Amino acid sequence: MAARRRLKRVASSQPGFLSFKSPSDTTASVGSRRKRVNKNKKKNWNKYSDVNDVDEFLEDIRHQERTTGGLLSEKTDDSLFFLDLGQPEKPQPQAETPQADEGKKRRGKASRPLRIDLILQPDSLVPPPKDILAYQQPNAKKLRRIAQKAEQLAAKGVVPRKQKRLLNRRPVDKTVKKAVTEANNNPDRDYYDIWGQEPKVSADPWYLQQTGKKLVKRPEKLNEKPSVLPAVEVISPGGSYNPDFFSHQALLQEAHQVEVQKKKQEDKLERQLAINKEDKATEETNLREQVEGLVEEEEEEENNDEESAPSKEDEEAALAAIAVTQKKTEKQIKKEKAEKLKEQQRLTSRRQTEQQQQLFQLRSIKASIRQQEEKTKSKQMQRRAKQEAQKAQPRRLGKLKFQAPDLDVQLSDELAGSLRQLKPEGSILKDRFKSFQKRNLIEPRERAKFKRKLKVKYVEKRAFKEIT
Amino acid sequence: MGGLQKKKYERGSATNYITRNRARKKLMLSLPDFRRLCILKGIYPHEPKHKKKVNKGSTAPRTFYLLKDIRFLLHEPIVSKFREYKIFVRKLRRAYGKTEWSAVERLKENKPAYKLDHIVKERYPTFIDALRDIDDALCMCFLFSTFARTGKCHVQTIQLCRRLTVEWMNYVIASRALRKVFLSIKGIYYQAEVMGQLITWLVPYQFSHDHPTDVDYRVMATFTELYTTLLGFVNFRLYQSLNLVYPPKKLSALSSSLARVVSSEEEEEAKLDQFPDEEEDMEKMEAREKEQKQLETQKKIFEGLKFFINREVPRESLAFVIRCFGGQVSWDKSVCIGSTYDVTDETITHQIVDRPNVDKQYMNRYYIQPQWVYDCVNTKMRLPVEDYFLGVTLPPHLSPFVEEKEGDYVPPEKLKIMALQRGEKPDEEEDEEEEEEEEEDENEEEEDDEEEAEEKNLKKMEEQRSQGKSLQVKVTPGKVKAENRARLEQEEKAEEKRLAIMMMKKKEKYLYDKIMFGKKRQVREANKLAAKRKAHDDAEKAKKKKARK
Repeated sequence: MAARRRLKRVASSQPGFLSFKSPSDTTASVGSRRKRVNKNKKKNWNKYSDVNDVDEFLEDIRHQERTTGGLLSEKTDDSLFFLDLGQPEKPQPQAETPQADEGKKRRGKASRPLRIDLILQPDSLVPPPKDILAYQQPNAKKLRRIAQKAEQLAAKGVVPRKQKRLLNRRPVDKTVKKAVTEANNNPDRDYYDIWGQEPKVSADPWYLQQTGKKLVKRPEKLNEKPSVLPAVEVISPGGSYNPDFFSHQALLQEAHQVEVQKKKQEDKLERQLAINKEDKATEETNLREQVEGLVEEEEEEENNDEESAPSKEDEEAALAAIAVTQKKTEKQIKKEKAEKLKEQQRLTSRRQTEQQQQLFQLRSIKASIRQQEEKTKSKQMQRRAKQEAQKAQPRRLGKLKFQAPDLDVQLSDELAGSLRQLKPEGSILKDRFKSFQKRNLIEPRERAKFKRKLKVKYVEKRAFKEIT
Repeated sequence: MGGLQKKKYERGSATNYITRNRARKKLMLSLPDFRRLCILKGIYPHEPKHKKKVNKGSTAPRTFYLLKDIRFLLHEPIVSKFREYKIFVRKLRRAYGKTEWSAVERLKENKPAYKLDHIVKERYPTFIDALRDIDDALCMCFLFSTFARTGKCHVQTIQLCRRLTVEWMNYVIASRALRKVFLSIKGIYYQAEVMGQLITWLVPYQFSHDHPTDVDYRVMATFTELYTTLLGFVNFRLYQSLNLVYPPKKLSALSSSLARVVSSEEEEEAKLDQFPDEEEDMEKMEAREKEQKQLETQKKIFEGLKFFINREVPRESLAFVIRCFGGQVSWDKSVCIGSTYDVTDETITHQIVDRPNVDKQYMNRYYIQPQWVYDCVNTKMRLPVEDYFLGVTLPPHLSPFVEEKEGDYVPPEKLKIMALQRGEKPDEEEDEEEEEEEEEDENEEEEDDEEEAEEKNLKKMEEQRSQGKSLQVKVTPGKVKAENRARLEQEEKAEEKRLAIMMMKKKEKYLYDKIMFGKKRQVREANKLAAKRKAHDDAEKAKKKKARK
C-alpha cells in the first residue's frame, strides 16, 4: 500500500484546523525561509514528502474498481451509454393477447432477470475478504500428522485399540422402553392366570433376598378372618317386597322392640335426672337461709350451754379411763394370758371332735362338693358361651363404638303391590359400610368436624350502629 | 437396688401392639395413605384382651395394630409408590401455581401408578381362597356399577365394575350356577354355586340412588380397587375352566349367548360319571344319581320358552335369571341394544308385564307378572301361571334363604308349594280334594288294620303260652320286617328319653316341665295359626258352595 497519511498528533496541524499563529504572520516567514531537509533519510520520507496527489489518484482508481467493477476509462461504450430511440412499434394486439402469458415467459431464450436485480448485483473487482478464522484450525498440523499415521497403520492392517474394543463389545439388547404401568382402574385392563403360573425362580435366593427383590412371606395369622360373621347377611323373610303376613309382622315386631328399648333408655335417664319437688328451693327456705345467724341470739346461747355440759362429761370419763388402765396392767396381762391358753385348748378340742364327726357327715360333704363342681362347670359353660357370642360381636376398635344400622322395614301402608311401584328402602352403600365395620375390617369413624382455632368476633356495621 | 428388676410394660402384650399413630410414623405415610394400605393388604386393627396392660395403664380407647403386622407392611413395595405419588402431587401443584403448562403436561404423562396383582396373589394363594371371599367383591362391584357417572368417583372405576359384573353374570349363565333369588326391599339377593362354593351377593335396584353423607367414599373406593382386581382374576380363571375366551366381546346386553360353549356343556352333562367305587353302597350311588338328575332338570326350567320383557319391568335382572335356566329373552329395541326379537313375534310364549292391563293382547302367549319367574326359580319348577296373571293379587314372595325348624309356623303357601314339589296334584277342584282326603284316610286305616292284625296274633300266642300249651310255632324263615331301621332307632331314643325323665329329681323335673311348656308353646301357637287359617279357608269354601248352589 502506498504510504498512509499519518494522522498528525497535534490537532491544530491537521487539515482544516486554524493554526494558532495568524496566517498573516506565518506565511511570510514560511514562504521566505524554507527549511532544508535531507530527504534521503527514511525518517524524513513520511514527514516532508507530499504524496497527496498520488494518493488522490490511487484512491480514485480504487474507488472505481470497488464500485463500478473496473476503470471507467476501460469500459466499453455500450456498458455505459445506450441510445434512446424512443418506444419500438408494438405489433397487432390480437396476435399478442393469446400469447400474452406464454410470451411473457418466453421473450428471449431464457426469462430475463429484472433490472433492479441486475442493478443490485455486486460487480466490483474487489472480492470480499476471506474470513481467515474459518480457515484457521488449531492443531491443524498435528491432526494432519495423526491422520496420516492412522492411514499408514490401517494400510498395514493394524486396528486401533478403541475400534477393537467396539468390535468386541456384545450387541446391546434393545430393551423396550419402560412400560408405563397402567392405572389400576383402567376399564380395558388385561387379566391373566395369576394362580396357574409357576413362580419364576430366576436367580439365587440369597441374591434375591439381599437385593430386596424377594417378596416377604405373609404371616399365617393374617390369613384368619377377623370375624366369624358371613359377608352377606340375607334379610329376614319379612323384608321381601311382597311379604307373607306373619313374617312381616315379625319383622315389624323386631323394629318395634328396638324402638321400645330406645324409649326405655331415655325414660331411665329422665328418671335419674329427676329431683324431688320438696327439695326444690322455695321463697321461704331462701329467706331462712339468708337470714341465718342474724336473728334471735338468745336462743342460741341457751343451746350452746346445753351442748357444752355433756361434752365436758365425756372428757372427764375419757381421762378417768386412761388413769384406771395404767393401774391394772399386770393383772390384766396375766388374765389375758390365761384366757388365751384356754381359748387355744378349746379350739383344739373342738377341731378334734369335728374331725371325728366328719366321718358321719360324709354324705353331706359329698353333696356339697358335687354342688360346687356343678357350679364351676355351669360357670365354665356360661363363660364359653359368652366368649362365642363375643366373637360374633363387633370389637371395640377405636374411639367410637359400633352403631348398629337401623332395620330396613317398610310399614304395612308402604308395601308396594307390584315390582313397578316398589320404593327401595335403605342404601346398599351404607349397608356395606356398616357390614365392614361389623366384621372388624375398619374402625367406626365419624366425619371430621370443622373446628375453629380462633374465635369469631361479631361486630356491628357502622350503619347498623347508627340505627340501633 | 440391683439392675435385674423387670420394668413394667417392657415385655408381654404391651410390646406386641402398637398404636395407629406410631405405626403410621414408622411407615412414614399420611393417615389416608396408611388406611388405604391397611385395607389393600388386609391388615386390620386388633382389640387386645387386656387393654390396660397394652395401653400402659390407661383405658383410653385407642386403635391398636399387631406389631408384627406393621413390620410386615414395611416390606411392601407399594409403600414407595405412595410416597412417589405424594411427591408427584406436590410437584404438580407447584407447576400449576407457577402456570408452567409444559411441566404440567410432562408430569401428568409420567404419573406414578401401582398394580395390585402381587397383593392378590399373596392374600389368596389358591383359587378356592379367592372364591370364598368373592361375595364381598361381587357386592361392591355391583354397587359401583350402578353409580351415576358423575365426578364423585372415577368414571373408569365405574366402567371397570360394569364390565366385570357383566362378565360374571355371563359366566353364571353359561354354567347354570344360579340357585336362589330373593327380591327384598333393599335389593335383589342371588345365590349361586360355583365349584362347590355357595356364593351370595346383593344387587341394588337400578332406580333410586341417594348417596348418604356419613359413608366414607375413599374407604369404599379403596375396597373396590382391590376387589375389582380380584374379581378380574377370578373371572379369567372361571372362563378358563369353561374353555372360553377371556375377555369376551359384546356382552353388555346379556342377550347374546355364548352358544358354542352352551352346547358343548350339554354334551358333557349328558353322561354322569360312574365312579366304580365299590365301598359305597348301591343305595348311596343311586341316591346321588337321583340328585344329579334332579339338578339337571332344575337347571332347565325355562327350556324352550320364549320371553318378552316389557318396558316397565327391570330388564337386566329378569334377563339374567331367565337365561340362567335356559329360556330365551328379548325386549323392546328402544330400551337397550341387543334385543333379538320384537313384540310382534308370534312364537313368544310368555310376556312379562307389570301394568294393570295391556292394550293389545296376543292369543298364544301368557301375560304374567315378574314374580312368577323368581318364584319358579326358588321352587325349582314351573309354577301354574294362573296365580300371576295381570291384575291378580300375587301370592307372597317367600324367602328361599329360610330353613324352617320343627314347630315353626310354615305359611300355607309354602306348604302348597312343597306339596307341588313332591308331585301331588294341585287342588283345583273340591271333588279331587275330597277324594284325596278319602284316600289318605283309607291309607291310614289300612295301616291300622295291619297293626291290629299283628297285635291279634301276638295276643293269641300269649294266651297259648299262658295255657301251658306248647306253641305251635314253627321255625319258619322270618319275614323281613319292612319297617325301617330308622323307626326302630327313633323308638329306642324315645324309650331312653322316657327313662331319663323318670329318673329326674323333683326340682329338676319341675324345671324340665317349664322348659317343655315353653317349647310346646311355639308349636301350640303354630297350630293355632294353622287352625285359624283353616277356619278361614273353610268359611270361604262354604261361601263358594252356597254361591254355586
